[in-house]
Amino acid sequence: MASRFRSREALTGYAFVLPAVALFAIMGLYTVGYGLALSFARWNGFTPTWTWVGLGNYLDLIYRDPAIAPVVQGAALRTLVVMIAVPVLTVLVSFPLAAALNHITRLRSTFRTVFFLPQVTAGIALFYAWTYALQPDGSLNYILRHLGLGSIAQPQGWLGNPGTALPTLIVVMVLGSVPVAMLLYLTGLQSIDQSVLDAAKVDGAGGLRAMTSIIWPLLLPITGAVVMLNLRFALQDFQTFLLMTNGGPGGHTLVLGLESYNLAFVSGFKPTLGLSSALGWILFVVALLLAALNLRLLRSRA
Amino acid sequence: MKARVIVYALLTAYAVLSLYPFLLMVSGALKDAAEIRLDGHLIPSDPTLSTLARTWNELHFFTYFGNSLIVTGLTTVGVLVVYSLAGYAFAVLRFPGRRVLYGMFLALLFVPGITMLLPVVILQQKLGLIGTFPGIILPFVNGTAPLSIMLLTNSFRVVPAELKESARCDGAGELRTFWSIYLPVGRPALITIALLTAVPTWNEYVLTRVSLNNAAQYTLPLALQNLNSSTSPQENVLMAASLIIVIPVIILFVLLQRYFVNGLQGAVKG
Repeated sequence: MASRFRSREALTGYAFVLPAVALFAIMGLYTVGYGLALSFARWNGFTPTWTWVGLGNYLDLIYRDPAIAPVVQGAALRTLVVMIAVPVLTVLVSFPLAAALNHITRLRSTFRTVFFLPQVTAGIALFYAWTYALQPDGSLNYILRHLGLGSIAQPQGWLGNPGTALPTLIVVMVLGSVPVAMLLYLTGLQSIDQSVLDAAKVDGAGGLRAMTSIIWPLLLPITGAVVMLNLRFALQDFQTFLLMTNGGPGGHTLVLGLESYNLAFVSGFKPTLGLSSALGWILFVVALLLAALNLRLLRSRA
Repeated sequence: MKARVIVYALLTAYAVLSLYPFLLMVSGALKDAAEIRLDGHLIPSDPTLSTLARTWNELHFFTYFGNSLIVTGLTTVGVLVVYSLAGYAFAVLRFPGRRVLYGMFLALLFVPGITMLLPVVILQQKLGLIGTFPGIILPFVNGTAPLSIMLLTNSFRVVPAELKESARCDGAGELRTFWSIYLPVGRPALITIALLTAVPTWNEYVLTRVSLNNAAQYTLPLALQNLNSSTSPQENVLMAASLIIVIPVIILFVLLQRYFVNGLQGAVKG
């Protein structure tokens, strides 16, 4: 009797997960498997058959192909810069913002709403507005000149000057990632026991002192989560680059994700689809390594 | 007192920075074709609504708006149906392989979008779905699986078992219990999932760009990109089109902020 009921419950269970699993099998497992297979082949998307090359694509990307490897290495370096700069800057901006927000009561929710707008609207519209502001005769140069800071203004435009393009894109990315980080810090700050802070005050610790020696250490797990989230974002995001500079000027903002996109969708009849897949899998492995590292850090802390 | 002034100054400065692109959209959209070419001044000398009207009517943004509504609406409904069923199974029912399946869905979180992009497009071609709405809606739905399953399973887990037992005693079947007990209790989580699905889908550009090829089917982001790549893009029109894209999101966010914030916190903790 009991086992009959159980098997019935199991059948119901399978019926309930069936739509999700079916979709996952086609859109997830199949595509991932297909992409992995393609990363070992050469194909331009039009010929009927693939040419198997084993690990050839991976080797070409990393060092072997004189036309592609240097491009990939440059893109890897820029991706690394983005992966360092975005998490660090996000923490440096969002922590003080959260502390400031936690300090006030009036207008707190208004400020929070306004701060979130660049996050929820992240996409082509927002990127075009920034691009418009950063043009040679755009609003940012206009403001700088009117503030008497014309020497900082960029006559080629902020995205047109090879020296400022990547830092400018990093700032736009940070603006998009600060809201969630700020929210996490704010939640953390609100969960700190007031008695801990009172004790610090009795011991003569001032505001800034309490902030650096008590609050910051207590919120380290949140900093860990913020860094992790943004490492993943910095590794994977290429939409900002595609829409604002498309890798330019002269390849100075080409990152790995964008290079993989280019190899897949703007390579014409060249057989680079396998290379694109292989690059996607390299990114996947890096993402996995980061996740494993994160898990390890969490465990060692516990 | 002095500290408070500094705090408010800091917050106001960052608020201005956050609002800056939206001010530009409003300012640009209100300028005419001649004034937009002058320089980067913010206040239009002779504000006009004609740019917005022209973008909406003559440039067919009402059609693109409709396309975006269809894609976003169907994706959101699909996510709610598929993953509330799955979340119920994972939270309430016992069946062999439950943990493995759950783990499999969460593992999807680690696959970068670019790794999936090309195989998804090739699959669309094979299924004859390239250039169709289902061709982009199905991968959109699947893409939300990790987060949706996690949040919904967690929210269904906290429903007291007695509620389920009492429904059983009243003779309710599994679907009935799911519909009349679990869905109402999970309402906040469902709204959160709806928002966390609808907003990124509304903004989605990359997969749509490589899938849709017929201008009559363009969603708003694609229509905006198309305007920009035309021979002589006009900034006032671009800003008007951008405004048309962001206004619905801003309204949705301001109205339902609570659910949004809860979801983001839950997503990171989970």
